[in-house]
Amino acid sequence: MWAYLFRRLAYNMPVYLGVILLVMAALRVNDPVYAYLGKNVTEEQIEARRESMGLKEPFLAQYAVMVKQIATLDFDTMSWRQQGTTVGELMSKAIWPSLALTVPALILTSVISICVSIIAAFFRGRTIDRSLVVIAVLGMSISFLVYIIVGQYFGAYLLNEKLNTEIFAIHGYKSGILNWPRYCLLPVLISVIVAMGYDTRFYRAVMVEESNRDYITTAKAKGASRQKIMFVHMLKNAMIPIVTRISITLPFLIVGSILLEVYFGIPGMGQALISAVTNQDFPVVQAFTAVFAGLYILTNLMTDVMYALLDPRVRLS
Amino acid sequence: MIKRWWNSRTARKFRQNRLAVVALFVISIYIALAFVLMLGGFISLETSDQRIGSQVLPGFLGTVLPQKRLDNALDFIDDVDRALNNRDPEQALGELTIGFRSVAKLPQPELRKLVDQGFEKYDHLAPILDELADSSQVTTGQLSDETATELTELEGIVDQLWPPPTGWQATKEGLALVFGTDRQGRSISMRAVYSVKVAIQVGVVTAFISVLIGSVLGTAAAFFGGVVDHVVTWLYTTFASIPNLVLLVLLAHMFTESQFENTLVPVYVAFCLTFWIGPCRVIRGETLKLKELEYIQAATAIGFSRPYIMVKHIIPNAAHLMLINFSLLFIGAIKSEVILSFLGLGVKRGPSWGIMIKQSGQEVVNGFFWQIGTATGFMFVLVLAFNILSDALQDVFDPKHV
Amino acid sequence: MKPCISVFVLALCALFVGCNGDGGTDTPNPGDPPVQGSDSSAEKVLHLAMRTAGPQSLDPIRGTSVYDNRACNPVYETLLQYSYLKRPLQLEPLLLSEMPTSEDGLTYHFKLKKGVHFHDDECFEDGKGRELVASDVIYSWKRMADESNNPNGWWLFENTYVGFDEYRKAQNDAAKFDYDATVDGFKIINDHEFQVTLKEKVQRFLWTLAMFQLSVVPHEAVDMYGERFGRHPVGTGPYTLKEGDWQPGTSLLYHKNPNYHECYYPEEHMPEDVDAGLTKPAGTKLPIVDKIEVTMFEQDQPMWLQFNAKKLDFIEVPAEYFEQAFNKRSRKITSEFRQKGYTAQPVPLLDFIFIGFNMEDPLLGGYSEKNTKLRQAICLALDWEERNDTFYNNINIIYDGMIPPGLDGHPKDGEAKTSFRGPDVTRAKQLLAEAGYPNGEGLPEIHYYVGQGGNSQEQSEMLRRHLSQIGVELNVHLVPFPTLMEDVDNKKAPMFAFAWGSDYPDAENNLQLFYGPNGSPGSNHFNYKNAEFDKMYEQIRTMPRSDERTKILEQMRDLVLADAPYAGSMARTRFYLVSPRLKNAKITEVFDNWWKYLDVEE
Repeated sequence: MWAYLFRRLAYNMPVYLGVILLVMAALRVNDPVYAYLGKNVTEEQIEARRESMGLKEPFLAQYAVMVKQIATLDFDTMSWRQQGTTVGELMSKAIWPSLALTVPALILTSVISICVSIIAAFFRGRTIDRSLVVIAVLGMSISFLVYIIVGQYFGAYLLNEKLNTEIFAIHGYKSGILNWPRYCLLPVLISVIVAMGYDTRFYRAVMVEESNRDYITTAKAKGASRQKIMFVHMLKNAMIPIVTRISITLPFLIVGSILLEVYFGIPGMGQALISAVTNQDFPVVQAFTAVFAGLYILTNLMTDVMYALLDPRVRLS
Repeated sequence: MIKRWWNSRTARKFRQNRLAVVALFVISIYIALAFVLMLGGFISLETSDQRIGSQVLPGFLGTVLPQKRLDNALDFIDDVDRALNNRDPEQALGELTIGFRSVAKLPQPELRKLVDQGFEKYDHLAPILDELADSSQVTTGQLSDETATELTELEGIVDQLWPPPTGWQATKEGLALVFGTDRQGRSISMRAVYSVKVAIQVGVVTAFISVLIGSVLGTAAAFFGGVVDHVVTWLYTTFASIPNLVLLVLLAHMFTESQFENTLVPVYVAFCLTFWIGPCRVIRGETLKLKELEYIQAATAIGFSRPYIMVKHIIPNAAHLMLINFSLLFIGAIKSEVILSFLGLGVKRGPSWGIMIKQSGQEVVNGFFWQIGTATGFMFVLVLAFNILSDALQDVFDPKHV
Repeated sequence: MKPCISVFVLALCALFVGCNGDGGTDTPNPGDPPVQGSDSSAEKVLHLAMRTAGPQSLDPIRGTSVYDNRACNPVYETLLQYSYLKRPLQLEPLLLSEMPTSEDGLTYHFKLKKGVHFHDDECFEDGKGRELVASDVIYSWKRMADESNNPNGWWLFENTYVGFDEYRKAQNDAAKFDYDATVDGFKIINDHEFQVTLKEKVQRFLWTLAMFQLSVVPHEAVDMYGERFGRHPVGTGPYTLKEGDWQPGTSLLYHKNPNYHECYYPEEHMPEDVDAGLTKPAGTKLPIVDKIEVTMFEQDQPMWLQFNAKKLDFIEVPAEYFEQAFNKRSRKITSEFRQKGYTAQPVPLLDFIFIGFNMEDPLLGGYSEKNTKLRQAICLALDWEERNDTFYNNINIIYDGMIPPGLDGHPKDGEAKTSFRGPDVTRAKQLLAEAGYPNGEGLPEIHYYVGQGGNSQEQSEMLRRHLSQIGVELNVHLVPFPTLMEDVDNKKAPMFAFAWGSDYPDAENNLQLFYGPNGSPGSNHFNYKNAEFDKMYEQIRTMPRSDERTKILEQMRDLVLADAPYAGSMARTRFYLVSPRLKNAKITEVFDNWWKYLDVEE
């Protein structure tokens, strides 16, 4: 297995180098110096600033520096926009609020949509199946932005106003498990509503396929209870696609909630990354994408390992 | 041939799904609308930009508050007043139009008299209404009879200055105002309908190109294997490793300043380069599977050329996947456009649903739902139809697909 | 089932860690209700909003934006400040014991206030803040000359002090920047007295001493924290900010400085302040509140809702929500808000919003009659009133010229004779025809650059519509702000939207935008050149305020207006809503160090 892992990692090296190259090249289409100048500048000041930002080096030299930093896990480069902070600090600050938002959202969405899809698959073609699918599709057809705007107004502001207490905070974030429902539950619910449609449809297809298999017929013939068939036999055998799906979503969850973060004032990775892109804060964008790409490759690898653990027929080779 | 297809098993199965047929019908209406708009020029970019009436008018079910009615009347009178005070009033009056209305063809002194009457009424009404708005918590429509008549009279003066259109023009104005107006007094319905064109363009172009790129690379990679496969796999893994949104934003940013800036090209490129990964992966997998099938092996053994096998056997057998991917990407493109517009990187010239939602986000708290509602509604129907269609396609072609 | 469970356990662990492991720091959250817990009952906390991602750095020499200014002001202090209640604006000593004196207008004598200490900080011996001395002031100014600090405000010093420009050049060229080298114009007499010699009698010199970029900082902190100084500010100000109290993009938390020097709420006031209750606290020791919590908002909606939920003490009312709080016509606060005890304060800004032309552009620039008429036609086609009405609820001030309302040289009623302010479509068409483009025929499309964000897309749609009335086709480039700067600095943008907020209340600050030698990338983005104007500018630069000076200012204004190097102008007015619990608020945006005067009711 270790040999396999090692080989896969080596195979992914060019991918990783490609990602960094692509991002660095795409960023450098625009000139960032002007984002960091004051009033009344002179040509010399612009040149001096360009020099101090390290942009006068040839592109390949800048690339080499970046690759070296990643190889040595050096995240001590200073952010340009958040002056005096290293990219490492920014990342370690932003990751927790992001996780507090996305992990519960992922769990809730997965659990709910798997249950719904099992029910739908079991009653395939009947009214209950139809209506569940329709609800899922309806939910998917409205823009995320509309959910957030409307959700914040009705869900946080008007609800608090009507009940005269604060159930959900309109804006802000505070760490700690006790504060979680107040600051994160509403955004989590909104993202669950949005994501549920996609997941339900996907899992339903999985479950439908499983429900047509022989072993289900056998189990039925043996007289196993409905609940047992649904939640034990089917679920167990559908684990592979479920794990794949979750692991594919995992790395993107972190940036996926940018709009929620902006509206609800949650200082997460999405907000940090997007504001870095718009402010042309190259060190931050580069470091963040490098980390995301690394995570993506690792989760892919872990998924494959997980397959082998879940399904004895799969071999790592 | 068409007849054969119509009677085929898949077509019959599809027709049985009534919902899917309705969805297909809805989609064709949207597409037809887009074509008519593009060819007929009924609603052009320019007309969707024009002022059509007062600002922030509610649609057909909403009532205008007296305060607002007063302000609107003043706006119309002001415009005439300004033209009358111009160095060349005759020409200024001739040039003055708002939407489907233009200034009445009356001699200048008469217009002046009407304007003065209007101002007088306004000056009389303004403090009364201000008082009313101030004393009652909410500005309700409850006015004393006297004030109500006076307000109606004022609006009568406006109608004299700006005679309402008749006949076909009146219908047009009614349609333009059916969902109200936005902050600049532009017609929400016209902008929403114009956005259909934008959405269809964005959806069709990006979905088509993405699927095309994805299919070509995917089949090539799987069929030829070796170096080709390695390169393609490397390419899509690289693109997939960058978070979707970041890739979109980076690509869209690259086009600021270029000559394509004000076209849809940046949006197309950003979406295509992000979206091709999905179909590529799926179709590569499918081709790998097909390649192992006995009849393809047999064809190879007999000595058919590889391009022949590819065109004749592989592509037709993966076509359904392309179709399904197309409809999924279409939805993805329309929905992502909203996010991109929110970040200021989407459509730059003219309206789109994303821009309408972005521009009306603030109005929700003010209780004005017309713009966000209309844009969402238009988008909802199209996306819903595509969702249903892609479900149906999946059921028909690939019932076992995971 | 086992693997399945382990996945969920893993995820749950992440959730718990996510909620608890915030690096040990307890994130301050301004969204909290004002009163919480038992120990805080005596503590007064001010809750403020900042409608942006916040400052870039808290190092004053790096500061550029108004948000840097606001965030720096509680922590640092300048030699002079504006009197809180006096109008028109007037300077008074802050770190000085008296206003600087001069006999010849060239050499100024400064006396520092005694007993001013820096914040307690590790960078000092045994952590106690050292007393402020004259060399600190000179040191802080020299930092602006050191290019390795990436300073952003050198222009405030440029060509003003004897020997300072030479010092800057010599030290930046040298291997190491020597802060101990002398500058001819700066002379330290003793710990509390120093002298400054100017090259000419530069009028803005005193105003710049109240700008936050010239705040005084201790060299110990800069030496110790280096690049991190911008995160770990040490100054003499009424509040302190610990590292970690600034959550980038989220919030700032200031604590009262217990060792703040003797400063009291001012006695001097305007007659109207008595009714507003602003005179009662006179003589109270500053600062008043114990904590200031500033939340950053990237969107208007959450800020507005948060204010409505009584979580903020005052905000600038976003234009979109103006009509909820105010009657648009009378600009009076609505009964709904009045009954809840809110009060309103209109705050006019020293603002110059305009659409500039690059005078070096072959099509739009130049001083020939043809090109000038084209520019004039464009100016005349624009309807600023409609823009004001649609996007600013008619609360902004439209005026002619570049000198904002309230300053010498601002035209009476905002109207100047030589102006080409629209809308006058008929005349615009006529001028366009005279320029050789009847109804826009033969005129290529005009490239207009505008920073994206906010409602600039909507605003430029309106601009397009106005210009299409006379047949001018506008090609709008919505670009990120840095790109806009780049295009303007490189003279690439023929027509661009810009705004200039006055740094100090004198017309000279705005007139320098048209001074020839300031051409791009300097602040004369129009690249306007007019020998007559330049001569007059040099004259008023060193002239004290007088009727004669005002007359020259007016001449300069009219000169520029006739050439129409820009279309405009507009000065924003902001309407602030103040919550019932906030006391002593006389809101202004010209200077920002007034948070120390504010008080809240428990």
